[in-house]
Parts: sequence; C-alpha cells; structure tokens
Amino acid sequence: MKSFSETIVKLTSDELIGHPLNDVEKKFAPQYVFIKGNREIMSFPRVSVIGTRKPSRQGVTDTIILTKQLLKKNIVIVSGLARGIDSIAHKTTIRFGGKTIAVLGTPLNVFYPPENEFLQNEIMKNHLAISQFPLETQTQRKNFPIRNRTMALFSHASIIVEAGEQSGTLHQGWEALRLGRPLFIVDHIMQNGDLEWPSKFIRYGARILRINDIETLLDPLPTPGVIKDVTF
Amino acid sequence: MLLSELKFGSYLTYTPRPNSDEGKYAKNYVNSIKMEIGIPTDPPLFMSDRVAKNIKAGIDETPLKDFFGRDVALVPVPKSSLMQLNSLWVPLKLATAFSKEGFGTCYPCLERKNPVNKASYSKPENRPKAIDHYKSIKLKMTLQKPKKIILIDDVVTRGSTLLGCASLLQESFPGTPIIGFAVVRTISDPDNFKKMVEPCIGKITRNGDDTFRVP
Repeated sequence: MKSFSETIVKLTSDELIGHPLNDVEKKFAPQYVFIKGNREIMSFPRVSVIGTRKPSRQGVTDTIILTKQLLKKNIVIVSGLARGIDSIAHKTTIRFGGKTIAVLGTPLNVFYPPENEFLQNEIMKNHLAISQFPLETQTQRKNFPIRNRTMALFSHASIIVEAGEQSGTLHQGWEALRLGRPLFIVDHIMQNGDLEWPSKFIRYGARILRINDIETLLDPLPTPGVIKDVTF
Repeated sequence: MLLSELKFGSYLTYTPRPNSDEGKYAKNYVNSIKMEIGIPTDPPLFMSDRVAKNIKAGIDETPLKDFFGRDVALVPVPKSSLMQLNSLWVPLKLATAFSKEGFGTCYPCLERKNPVNKASYSKPENRPKAIDHYKSIKLKMTLQKPKKIILIDDVVTRGSTLLGCASLLQESFPGTPIIGFAVVRTISDPDNFKKMVEPCIGKITRNGDDTFRVP
C-alpha cells in the first residue's frame, strides 16, 4: 500500500493548468503544486465560489443556490476549504453530484480547519485537492492570502458571495481582476452600504451577479478541453 | 471634439450566441484571445503572438494588405475599467505582437481615468457612447508625431470605443491620419455569422450619441 506522500503528484502550474502561463499569470504563480485526487477535473470550466468564514443566513442560502445553478451547467466548483462559504460550496457540490477543487493554504496532509478533515479526505479521494506548500511546510497566516491568489489563477472566473472589509477573499478578487479573469460580486452584497470594497472592485472591472441569472457568467468561460495550436 | 466617422479594419468575426460549430469555435477563440492563453507549442506561443503571425501570413491576400506599415504608431485601446499595475491588457499584448511582426511601433499612450460600463456585458441602453469614452480617457504620454496612428483593440462591436479614442488623439495630432483595427468584429445576430476569417475594411459612423459599424 502506498504511503500518503507517494499518492501526491508534483506538477508545475503550467502542467496543471494545461497550457503555458503568460507573463501576467506567472507573476504570482507557484512554480510547483502538489495535487491529490482526480486531475481530469481540471479539463472543465472552473469557477471559484468564495467568501467569509462567518456567513449570514443570506450568504449561506446564496451559496447553495448559486452552487446548484453552476452545477447544472457542468461547472467545477473551486474553493478554499475554509470555514463558512468555502465549506458550504464544497459540501453542496458533493451533495448534488458535482465536482469540486479545493485549493489549500496548508500542505495536503494538514487539515485546517480540523473539522474539515472528512471533507478534505473526500475531496482528495473523489475530487481534487491542490496545495502549493510541500508536506513539511509549517502552516503560517501569510500562506492563506498566497493561496487565494493561486485559487484565482486556477479558476476561469471567481464569485464573491459575501465578504467583509478585511476578508482574505478580497485577495483573490484583486488577483482575478489583475489576471483579466471575470470577477463577480453577488448582488445582495451591494445592498450593504457600509462596505467600501464592492464599489472599488466595480471600478476595476468586477461585475454584479444575480444568483438566479448566471448566463452572463457563462459567456467568457471556455468550452471543455485545452486550446491546442490554433490557426485560422 | 468627437469625430463623425472612422475607418477601421478587422480580420475575424464571432457571434456571442453561436448556433453553428464554426460559431462555437470562433467564440472559444475570442475567449482565448481575451485570456491571452498560452499555446503548448515548442517554444510556447501566446494568443496575441499567434494572431499576429497568422495575420502576417495571410494579409497580402486580403483588403488589409496596405493597412499597416513600419512608420505607424500602434496605440492599444484602454480597458473599460481602471487597471492595477501588472494587469493583463489584451490590446497592449496585441499591439506588441503586431509590432514584432513589423506592423508598426507600439505606443501605449492612452489611459482610462474613469471607468465606463463594459459594452459586452451591458444592456444596449447602458452601453457607453463614444462621448463617454472620449471623456473618460486621457493621453498619458506624448509620442513624436507619427505618420499614421492605428488604434488596436481585440473586439469591436459598435465602434464607440475606437471612435472615442480616435477623437481624443486627433486633438493632439491634428492632420495625422487615425484609423482603428480590431482583431475581431462582433456579429450580433447568429444567423448572420458565416465564418470566422473575414478580413475587411469598414467604417464606423456617429449619428448623435450612437455609433454604427459597417460591415
């Protein structure tokens, strides 16, 4: 029987994503990533569903509805396996028969938060877990925003369901905008007049998403498969 | 002052709601341009390089034969939103790639000072007009008076961005010919989409606040 470390595959970011990274993508891309699970999932359109660790009732409902809508379109749900919105997105995906990718801020053999051990094991067994941190890496606070940027890189689009002014989720939002990937903000966030980040993100190209109308989100997503050498 | 018309060229067409295999291929191709996807060739190429090389290879057989030239300033069109440092700016990638193929010299001299709605995601009544682009863009660096300026964009729909940018540039470079080039032009009605490769030279015309593109 193989040991845990023997079941982990080490790849470059280019290899995982399936094509060479452009210079903008390379700026913060990890040189290597460690993956465990079903690599084939990467060949489908991938959308991050992310947000706060302490969601409101509205945030929970929005995450579930949105995730189910995306699953109907065969979209792979990417998230960060954190408490709150991330965990709900992963669990909803698994419950309704979809495929999910977890991008970790810890090495693959660390379970954080600890209560997600079962969920992480399920993802590593039947879905896909990705970490840029080698097994011996000590878990540090700074690794999570680094992970958030990596999650933007591995997603064709990102959706922020709910987030406060200091949320780590915003690191992913800024990186998605920098990469030129579509970034969506769920519409109910805009109703919270206390938040400054949503209007700032809109000025830099983020768009508002109504959770029952995801057609605008689908437009920029690629069809499954890797772009080969294309001519016209 | 806003120009009333602008000559433009484009090489490809696509439709946002394709109903044919070629239409779906074209849409995927355009999405790949917008993401500056890398192509796993050896050595790797990126979509801007591939587009420029393909246009270079075929341009002599098209109406665009004399469109570019070494004495031309290639000016990338600003994004509709503000940009962070080191962000992906596809028209800059394209202008740089065209420059490498001998189509002119890239001058990224225009900058968005205030964001406008992104046309492709807006309802028709909310799409920015040429005047909105004109007012929200600034010249951030000067360039030596070129013989000709070609604005470079990835996609043209109605042409309001190109017309707004050209209007601003003609104030700084009176007498210099200014034209536009977008790699792809949008065919809104999927039934009117015939094929992806359809090089053309056309005209963007302004009537009041509205712009119209032919073809």
